[in-house]
Amino acid sequence: MRRLIFFILVNLILFTGFASAQEEFSFTLEEFEKKSLEWGGYAEIKLEHTKGNQNAAFALLDSHGDPRSSLDRFTSTLQLDGNYNKGLFSLNWVAQAYGRQDQEQWEDEASIFEVYVSIKPTPMASIDLGKKVFKWGKGYAWNPVGFIDRPKDPNNPEESLEGYIGAGLDLIKSFSGPLQTLALTTVVLPVQDNINEDFGKRDNLNLAAKLYLLYRDVDIDFLLFTGNSRTTRYGFDFSTNLATNFEIHGELAHIPKQSQKILDADGNVEIREIADTSYLLGLRYLTENDVTTIIEYYHNDDGYTEQEQDRFFELVDDANDLFMETGDDSLYSKAASGSEGAYGRSQSGRNYLYAKITQKEPFDLLYFTPGLTAILNLDDESFSLSPEAVYTGFTNWELRLRFSLLVGSSFTDYGEKQNENKLELRVRYFF
Amino acid sequence: MKKALIFLIVFLASSLAGICSAQAAELDGNAILRQVDKNLQPQSYEMYRKLINVEPDGTKKEFVLYSVKKGQDKMVALFLSPASEKGRSTLRLGENMWLYIPNVGKPIRITSLQSVVGGVFNNSDILRLDYGSEYDAVSITREGDTYLLQLKAKTNAIAYDSLKMWVDAKAIVPTTIECYAASGMLIKTLYYKNTKDFGDGLVRPSVLETDSPLYKGYKSVMIYAKVQRKKLADEVFSLNYLARVDELR
Repeated sequence: MRRLIFFILVNLILFTGFASAQEEFSFTLEEFEKKSLEWGGYAEIKLEHTKGNQNAAFALLDSHGDPRSSLDRFTSTLQLDGNYNKGLFSLNWVAQAYGRQDQEQWEDEASIFEVYVSIKPTPMASIDLGKKVFKWGKGYAWNPVGFIDRPKDPNNPEESLEGYIGAGLDLIKSFSGPLQTLALTTVVLPVQDNINEDFGKRDNLNLAAKLYLLYRDVDIDFLLFTGNSRTTRYGFDFSTNLATNFEIHGELAHIPKQSQKILDADGNVEIREIADTSYLLGLRYLTENDVTTIIEYYHNDDGYTEQEQDRFFELVDDANDLFMETGDDSLYSKAASGSEGAYGRSQSGRNYLYAKITQKEPFDLLYFTPGLTAILNLDDESFSLSPEAVYTGFTNWELRLRFSLLVGSSFTDYGEKQNENKLELRVRYFF
Repeated sequence: MKKALIFLIVFLASSLAGICSAQAAELDGNAILRQVDKNLQPQSYEMYRKLINVEPDGTKKEFVLYSVKKGQDKMVALFLSPASEKGRSTLRLGENMWLYIPNVGKPIRITSLQSVVGGVFNNSDILRLDYGSEYDAVSITREGDTYLLQLKAKTNAIAYDSLKMWVDAKAIVPTTIECYAASGMLIKTLYYKNTKDFGDGLVRPSVLETDSPLYKGYKSVMIYAKVQRKKLADEVFSLNYLARVDELR
């Protein structure tokens, strides 16, 4: 019943949107006068056909030796956002719910991504209290300096993410010399029972700070995280335009003491302490015929070497053999423990290259943007390749067709992922 | 002798007048450009704009923006409509431009030649600074009721290398502007139309149309409304403020 109501709701919004997209638009300013309550969001349907990689380590681990050859999935998502303004105060929120059906199961979840009160006494200062998303760093696909961010999906880096509960203070000062702007953002982040539990160790109060400078047309950030939920970390990032069509950016993060899961020679999960210095260098280049290229190199010091990854893949192989022969899943449990937050992360290697090429409106096709995204593990040379086409010609509609292909031999990053390829159609209506 | 003296005086006087006139013409080009900027927009102001992209088959796509500008090189634009773009804001500080998308949650640097909305207008058209802050007048000629100004970009960071600007000699507002790349290629033509009294002494065109040989058959139109003076803090034009631009309305 619940899934029926959910589907009806999402499809009703989509259908209403299609009907209103046909209406004529008239420009009356009253329509755009500011209201104290404003809200919006989107409804989305997504159809996915996935071809599984049945011999891959993560497919075996997930299904204990019996992975599916393919999976068809239908997902409906509803996102609602808005704000209520009263004088110096505003209440802001973003909530998202999804329902998902595939051949195996129905899944649904509703989450509040953000809900916070802002107090803004002057343009130079603001205070935020509540659950809020912070996205720090200049990288497009990865952000090693995103100390209080949730990790984003490099295949969908522009999607909404869930925030953390805390208190933030933002101070801005503008100048007329070479230093044009100076801004300080500080965030206090508690971790307790039922508050930011998944952030790190509980019963701690953490502090994150970002000092931003616009100096001689260069954006510069100095970042700091300290507190006992995670170890202390330092960061630096920058971005600037070298020409009207050429931007460069970079990030550097240093974590003097970082705990990392590692498999020993016997396949046992141990915790070791490392000094983690991760960095990213990137560029964005626009050609005369509107081709935008984003290229980023990412060194993930917290990642695993080829040898270390091999050990994990061997463990899964052994686990599968043991399970098939005896039904004993103890090795699978070990591998699952090593996978969680470590070998199973979406990018668990050490060196990656990201490239995204999009051509805006080719052949005079307005609002049509074809593109190609590639993510390459530079150590084992496995990669993912995702051609896509996006059309935004119907007002408030976005249609995206994407195919993703994962290529790699045995015991490589992309060769051992759960899927071999995926075809995805996403239709999103904004309201 | 007397005749010779009169001839000499007349010759010297006309030569001097000629020199002065040439100098005045040179000075007038930039002075007229300054007057054009003054007549188009106050130094610190807010405005609403509707941007319409028209395709060859007549299909339209419309956007509504709220903008504020201060001084010669600070401007912010916030998309109010359609819903798919609502909350997006773009900031320009000199030749630096950033785009803030609410879902992305952080500003990213963009280039002046890119188009946030698609169509013929690019970012530098939407976040246009004073013409005088980006261009120098290299020549001026009178063509009936209009002046023709040849403008050259002050640096190679400006979106268009040179402009040909026709200015209404009476109202001192532009009527037509041709935008050229450094190669001499015509990128687009802007047409200022429908002069309107916005109040507070501001009388200026209320419609800006553009077409481009690069987008044959396509046309973009910008309609101006509620252009009015507004006091603004410098801090409004900073990355940290981008998510808060709607508060200014």
